[in-house]
Amino acid sequence: MNRNGTVTRGLDAGLIDELRAIVGADGVVSHSSELKVYECDGWTIEKSAPDLLVMPRSTEQTSAILSALWRRDVAFVPRGAGTGLSGGALPVEAPVMICTSRMNRILEIDLANRRVEVESGVVNLHVTNAVRGAGFFYAPDPSSQQACTIGGNIAENSGGPHTLKYGVTANHVLGVTLVLASGQIVELGGACEEPCGYDLVGAVVGAEGTVGIVTRATLRIMREPQAHRTLLATFAGAEAATRAVSAVIAAGIVPGAIEMMDRLIIRAVEEAFHVGLPADAGAVLIIELDGLAAALDEQAAAVTAIARSAGASEVRLARDEAERGALWKARKRAFGAVGRLAPNYATQDGVVPRTRLPEILRVISAVSTKYNLAIGNVFHAGDGNIHPIILYDERDPAQLRGAIDAGREILAACVTMGGSLTGEHGIGVEKQGEMPLLFSPDDLRAMTELRHVFDPRERSNPNKIIPRPGVCVEVAAPHRQVPV
Amino acid sequence: MRPASPVTDSAEIAKRIASLIGGDHVRAPRGAEARAAAVIAQPADPAETAALVRMCEADAISLAPLGAARTLSEIRRAPAALGVSLARMARVIAYEPDDMTIVAQAGISVAQVNSAMAQSGQRMPVDPHEPELTSVGAMIAAHHAGPLRLSEGTARDLLIGIQFIGHGGAMIRSGGRVVKNVAGYDFMKLMNGSFGTLGIITEAAFKVRPIPEFYALAIASFDRAAGAFDVARSFANAAPLAHLEVTSPRMSVALGLAPTYWVLAGISGTRAEIDYLRGAIARASLAEVEFLAGDDARRMYCALRDCDFADWAIGAQLVVPPAALAGVLEACDAEFRAHAGSGIAQIITREPPAPDAARAIVARWRELARAARGHLRVLRAAPEIRDAIEFFDTPNHGALELMRAMKSAFDPVKIFNPGCFAGGI
Repeated sequence: MNRNGTVTRGLDAGLIDELRAIVGADGVVSHSSELKVYECDGWTIEKSAPDLLVMPRSTEQTSAILSALWRRDVAFVPRGAGTGLSGGALPVEAPVMICTSRMNRILEIDLANRRVEVESGVVNLHVTNAVRGAGFFYAPDPSSQQACTIGGNIAENSGGPHTLKYGVTANHVLGVTLVLASGQIVELGGACEEPCGYDLVGAVVGAEGTVGIVTRATLRIMREPQAHRTLLATFAGAEAATRAVSAVIAAGIVPGAIEMMDRLIIRAVEEAFHVGLPADAGAVLIIELDGLAAALDEQAAAVTAIARSAGASEVRLARDEAERGALWKARKRAFGAVGRLAPNYATQDGVVPRTRLPEILRVISAVSTKYNLAIGNVFHAGDGNIHPIILYDERDPAQLRGAIDAGREILAACVTMGGSLTGEHGIGVEKQGEMPLLFSPDDLRAMTELRHVFDPRERSNPNKIIPRPGVCVEVAAPHRQVPV
Repeated sequence: MRPASPVTDSAEIAKRIASLIGGDHVRAPRGAEARAAAVIAQPADPAETAALVRMCEADAISLAPLGAARTLSEIRRAPAALGVSLARMARVIAYEPDDMTIVAQAGISVAQVNSAMAQSGQRMPVDPHEPELTSVGAMIAAHHAGPLRLSEGTARDLLIGIQFIGHGGAMIRSGGRVVKNVAGYDFMKLMNGSFGTLGIITEAAFKVRPIPEFYALAIASFDRAAGAFDVARSFANAAPLAHLEVTSPRMSVALGLAPTYWVLAGISGTRAEIDYLRGAIARASLAEVEFLAGDDARRMYCALRDCDFADWAIGAQLVVPPAALAGVLEACDAEFRAHAGSGIAQIITREPPAPDAARAIVARWRELARAARGHLRVLRAAPEIRDAIEFFDTPNHGALELMRAMKSAFDPVKIFNPGCFAGGI
């Protein structure tokens, strides 16, 4: 029996008592109504609540928790803020969820070395907020940056609009404290540019929580660019907009970010937030140039000319920081705005070589027609990283099935064009089945071996990333309620 | 199955390899290669490379991937039984200027990769020592990088895909050909700096960058190292630099400069950016700054990038947090070329010390590095003192355990460049 008087499935009371002794009574959640909040992350198509939630406050508590689980061979799923979009924090045969959100201290700000040491539950944006006054920023900026945690970013190797110029999470993490599934604490990397021995930090970042729980990280911060020029270019259609993207890159200009929104997204954003986007446009590009002020006007003029010759009807320069802020607010809140258009939506994440963007947009449009589901596009055009947003109503089983199939069809097309299944959201449970499109059995075996170096018993976030050959996922995961 | 005794006879190994890939592609080592490997095989493609790996595993033949053999000839205590040269695997496989990506076989030199892109105004900006001699595979495996690491990063930042031949001759791919990709575990970073101990890199994909329109170099001379590092710091705070080096007197002489401490700060960009950066640097400096442009700047940059440590008795790479670099270098009391913005310096001692003294020098440098939360790797040592020196620093206990497990997982027969990495891996 747990403290709420309900029986927690499959977990012995001794374990729950031990965990309570480690983190305190308020650090363990076992009542099913409270656990329901944790039944999914941003991948809402599948749901499965954990049997128990534990919230450690330190590396040592995390280690003690994992030791207790290891002794009983109980699997666990790590969770940051639950903003992930591929089901990375969905429990699949992992009864215990470990949430890092209470480990939320910024431990050291070292401006001389351009480093920040944080606990893994620190919110992404809080890192930049802590150093902005001194003229620095933390570059990876996922749309969920007001909520997502550094630990989650490390697990998923998160990106964001500004990764076009500044790189993804892996490029900004120098060291981590990792608690292995066995409970052992290891320090990997550190405050230096180069590792001593194998680059294990590089193996941990992007491993989707399958190698243990990161409790602390040393991050690289960068000096804020001297100036920005943010342009809004309006096009009749998405294809013309993507042609402009290729032309900008081909001209040798590397903007800080190039983001695209199509008609459906523009309308949704305008209706929700009234930020002044051209409501009748077929597509817009937000192109942000940053660097030395001395060069930006020339660059902005060049980009404007390129956009116009690709068919832009209007290219508007944000006049001040307020206008720039409004454009970015529109972009980063696009996903939220879409929530107004349909009861449910699934955000896909695929990558194509950026010159193939017009082609993949045609595929998306055809898929939308085929399944009779509206699909909006808001994405990191400069990276070729698409985010089709498929609208559906989960109460209609046909629509739900269609949403899943439509996503898979788009991903298969990305791979055929020489791209990837995911640019920044991860494989999670969502794309396990598609991994063989991209990787051979030998590749997948090697990946499994890499994982086993850290976690030979697959206790940390089991049943993610690598497909289990011959085993239907639903059968392998009886707790999962796949509503199809 | 592993035989009772490994095959070590070079003539026998050469004969077996000839039967696999043809007698024309097996040869004796030349010059410094002899310190890296006893026999050299030059497979034509990944399939032949895989066949070599399977043969080596079956007969317990140690195998070392070699580019120009400049790295391993300096750090192997005894030659590997077989060196695998990828000189015949040196093609650009796909270059897509509009996607800003390039895929190449690992045997191609960094300079050749860049000449394939020059017409399109692009480059793969990692700038190791002598890029004409550094193969892409060696650049990745030994994590070679140069001055531009400050602004452009290293292979770690630019690699987007990799193929390598591992245990059992398996051909393993990770990443892909697109600039953003998080599908599956990241072998690009694991292979980067693994010194051929996990497999043979056969192919690599990179994201590339535009070549800046202009490049210029600000140089200033100082009598004391502290003065040079102070000014270097003020330059870095004043402006985004392409690179930032400080050289000690003897290294400065090798660059054709006066025997003092020099700051060499590279700037790049459009004409307007260069003009701004020159002004910002001039304002930030308390000392007199000379600006080199055009061919003069380029020549000096190449000399700085290609600084040769081969003639020195001990050459080592010191890695510490950037703000600690000046203090640690002063305490090391050695000649150096420092990448001041990155916290990395190559430090050297000229006169060949006796083995005991050599051991003591390296131990002292290493202790200073560790005290600053860094580490030190020996890049080369004169043959007479080599046995006295630990080339790789030892990672902390927990990390080392994982590294040993990684080695066992990916090289269970222990044929890939054995005994030539951190912790005796």
